[in-house]
Parts: sequence; C-alpha cells; structure tokens
Amino acid sequence: MGFKKKNRHVGIVGIGETKFSSHREDVNQPEMIHEAVKDALEDAGLTMDDIDCVVHGNMELFEMVHQPDLWHTLGTGARGKDAFRLTTGGTTGGTLVGAADNLVAAGMYDTVLAIGFEKLQEGHTTGGITNMADPLWARKLQSGALTDSAAVKAIAEFGPDRAKKAAMLYRIIMDKHACLNPNSHRAFGLDWDQMADLMENSPPLIGDLRLIHMCSQSDGACAMILSSEEKAKQQCDHPVWIRDHITIHREETLNLCVNHYPNETTHRFAARHLYERNGITDPLDYFDVFEMYDPSAWWGADWIRDFFLLEGDAHYRLIEEKEIMRGGKMPINPSGGVLAANPIGATAMVRVAEAAKQVRGNAGPHQIPGTVNHAIASSFGGTMWTILIMLEKELNW
Amino acid sequence: MEKEMNVTDNDNFDTMADQELIVLRKTISVDQKFATGPVMGKFLTALKDKRILAIQCPECGRLQSPPREMCAICRVRNREWVEIGPRGEMRMMEYCYYSSPDPLTGESRETPYGAIGILLDGCQKEEVFWHLLRPEHLEMVEMGIVMGDRVTRGTRLRPVWAQERSGSIDDIKYFEIDE
Repeated sequence: MGFKKKNRHVGIVGIGETKFSSHREDVNQPEMIHEAVKDALEDAGLTMDDIDCVVHGNMELFEMVHQPDLWHTLGTGARGKDAFRLTTGGTTGGTLVGAADNLVAAGMYDTVLAIGFEKLQEGHTTGGITNMADPLWARKLQSGALTDSAAVKAIAEFGPDRAKKAAMLYRIIMDKHACLNPNSHRAFGLDWDQMADLMENSPPLIGDLRLIHMCSQSDGACAMILSSEEKAKQQCDHPVWIRDHITIHREETLNLCVNHYPNETTHRFAARHLYERNGITDPLDYFDVFEMYDPSAWWGADWIRDFFLLEGDAHYRLIEEKEIMRGGKMPINPSGGVLAANPIGATAMVRVAEAAKQVRGNAGPHQIPGTVNHAIASSFGGTMWTILIMLEKELNW
Repeated sequence: MEKEMNVTDNDNFDTMADQELIVLRKTISVDQKFATGPVMGKFLTALKDKRILAIQCPECGRLQSPPREMCAICRVRNREWVEIGPRGEMRMMEYCYYSSPDPLTGESRETPYGAIGILLDGCQKEEVFWHLLRPEHLEMVEMGIVMGDRVTRGTRLRPVWAQERSGSIDDIKYFEIDE
C-alpha cells in the first residue's frame, strides 16, 4: 500500500454533537447542523473566522436533497470559505474526519471543520440504501441495510445457543452504555433477565436478525474541528491527536455463501495494516477504548474478532465475560454505539468524537473509569468498507 | 405563521414554542433508465434463451455472474465466458420478514420471501448467484456450509423461467427445489 507518513501532526480541538432522536421536526436541516457546529465552535473556543475550510457530508439518497451543502451553508457557516462535500454512505462520517485529517496534515489548511449529518425521518432509509445496489440485478433482491448473514455465519460456527446469547448479551451491554449517554436516541433500560424473552419475542426482520438487534434511524449532526499541531496547541490545552487513519474499500459484491474460506474482511485487512505500520503488536492490550460502528448486535459481536485480530472464540469470551463493558478489559462503545443512535452521515463521525471525548476525559456521564491514552474508532458502510482512526492523548509516538 | 420568528436567539428555542411547525409531505416518482454495457448486455440476452453465463478472470480464474467487466481484485479485463448452472445448490438465504420497498416498482415486497445465494453447477467457493426462492419452499430448504473440514450439502435448486423473457432479472421467476 502506498502509505506515507503525515507531513505534520493533526489534533482535534473541538467536538459538537446534537441530541439524537427519531423526531427533530422542531428544526430543519440547516438549523440542526447549526446546533452541532455551534457546539463544536464553543467547545474549541473558536469562531467561524478561525475556520479555513469546511468538509460536509451525508448520504443524499436518504433525504433526496441533492447538493444539500448549498441549503446547509446557513448552518455550516461555509459561505465565503473553501468547502468540500463528501458522501460515502455509512462511512461518510469517517471519510469526513479522514479527509479533514489529510487536508490539515498536507498543509493545505490549518483548521478544518468537518460536519456529518442525517435527518432520516425526512426520507426513506431502506429505500435509499436499496438504491445503492446495482440497478440491473441486485436492486430487486437487496433488503436495504438489513441482512442475516452475520447471524447465519455465527450460528454455523458456534451453534444457535451460544451465538444467539452472545448477540443478545452484546445488545444489552450496549443498551446499558446507552442509558448513561444523554445524547442517545434509544436507551431502553434493558436488563440481563430479559435476554430469553427478547431472543424469542422481538419481531424478526430477516432470519435471526430481530428488531432489538438492529440500529435505529435517527436524526442528528456531529461536527469536529481539526487543526495543525502548531495551531492546535495555541487553540486548545489538550488536543486529541489523530495518529493515523486507514480507509479500505472493496468491490460491490456481497458475500452470499455460508463458508469460511480464508477471505479476509476489510475490517481485518484495515486493522492488520494499521497496526503493522504503527508497530502495535497487541491491539487488545494497547487500546483503552474502542468506538465501533456496529449496525447490529450480530455484526458488533462478530467484528470484535476482526478489529482486534483475534482467532477462534476469543471475541465471544470478551462478550461473555463482559470485558467489553465500561470498566472491562476493552470497553466497546461507552456511548452505546450505533445501536443507541444512527444518524447515518454523522454516525461514523460520532464514533471518532466519542472516542476523542473519552481521551479528553470529559465524555460526561458515560466517561469510562481510568485514563484513556489510546483510542480507536471504526466506520462501516457500503458492502463491507472500513475506516479505522487512531487517537492518542500524548504526542509521543 | 403569523408570529415573527426570533432568529437572533439561537439558545432559546422556547421562544419558538408557540410557533406553528409545519411538515411538508412530498411523494416523487422518477423515471430511470440504465445502460447495461456490452458485458451485462450479453448476460441478460442469454437469459432470454434460458442460459446463465458467467465471466472468468484470466488471472485468478474466478467466475462472476452477473458478470463484471473487470476482476476488481486482479484489475484485469474479464474476457472468457462460461455457461453455468442452471441447477445448483442452496448456500445462503436471507429469510425476509421485513417488507422493504422494491425500487424497481415502488411497491412494498410481499413477505416472507427468501433472497438466496445459489452455488450453480460449475461454480465453487464464493461464486454464488443471487436470486429468489419459490415462496412455498421457504421452510423446506437447507443451506450448505463449508467450514474447514466440515462440509454440508445444501438443497438442490433449479430455476423456474418466466414465459415471456425480456433480458432482465425477471426472466427467472425464482429457484425451486430440484429433488
């Protein structure tokens, strides 16, 4: 891979998030975006005068507004500034952070504002995603973002009992995390004794993927301000440093067979390359927190194995021993993750924002105990596309 | 919408609490047409003759059906055509309870239905073909699994062809049990 080290260091100096919700009819799109932008500027102690460039993104098929960056200029503050629009489906938020990281690292701009948003109640999410499929064949067959493939494979590998329990345990852990996050869209207050009932009675969507396993359709926006090392140190006492990021795409085909041929996922491929080039031999030991783009409990439970380069059932043991809970060996999604809120164009950025807040130590009620020095955030989209973004508390690598 | 909006006070949305909030509902219908290109065109034309074609990568040898101009992994142009199936083995099913919209018609799909991956005869490993299962057979099929040394066979399936064929995915109505 043609990877080059950064030209200069890049720090996160401002973070803004709206409350995530299924209904934000109280604001229109630019107003909702403005909430996140204002929050990020206040967090950084900056004004729009300090912003050199704006990168803005969502998945426009969802709201059916093309070039939303025009209308949204009212909320983004982009008038008279350099601006880019990016849209890569579920990974959009990660692509925005990666692009802003590149723009600052390259020296093109000192301070970049990245904004991801989605107002899913204003369109049709499943209809939009189904239009992502190849129009000549797959559109007739694809059922939006819903797929049973992770459940089918987990059940084939670990048997129905263990696989279904692991997915539901993962789901309830995420809900317990979500209940501490004031921005959560969905926080049900689930408890362990509801597992059997939910595994049996939650409405089925596809095969063993039930409603309780799946992420929501949310409204919300996220904004982040990234600056060069020199600027970041002037603007902020404790910038969170973006050490590295990797973005991996593959062709559009979905994996439609139950098998375990040695076919490396983009998650494992991205993780392997990122850790190798940063000299990280034991990622489970190195990182203090992981914010994962987990669209369903089945996927979340399965993907832990790939992201930490684990083998066998090591990922299931982490779940079963509740080591992924706050206070555990590897806290995953103290925010509640995508199961707590999924404003798609913002979702992947929220993962980075929440990981960065954990590093700063001011995430709020869902701040995990202990010092967070090293954090990682993932983005997911398309047909298994991956972005991984590594954050550091100190500039010492 | 008589009252004046307080646009200068961004912090206090309570000042807008008695503002009438209006939601506008729109339904749009958009005609679309897509060029197949020569490769997909050849595949779709063969369906009219009840033949399923795959295209083969000259480097890694993998088959793709529906065919792609390139092997995206090897980054070479695919040139060799191979006829596959039409019978095959059930490998994966999405048993769909959720009624998602069919973008080709705008109608919600009838549920339950099975979107399936079929390993057509002549194909191997991940070279599965994506189509639908005959709804009456939803409860009667088994998925084949390959996991290390563990190999189980899936239910044998055959295509049911439409009477009128136009060179589209609908030329195959669905796949049904062939046993």
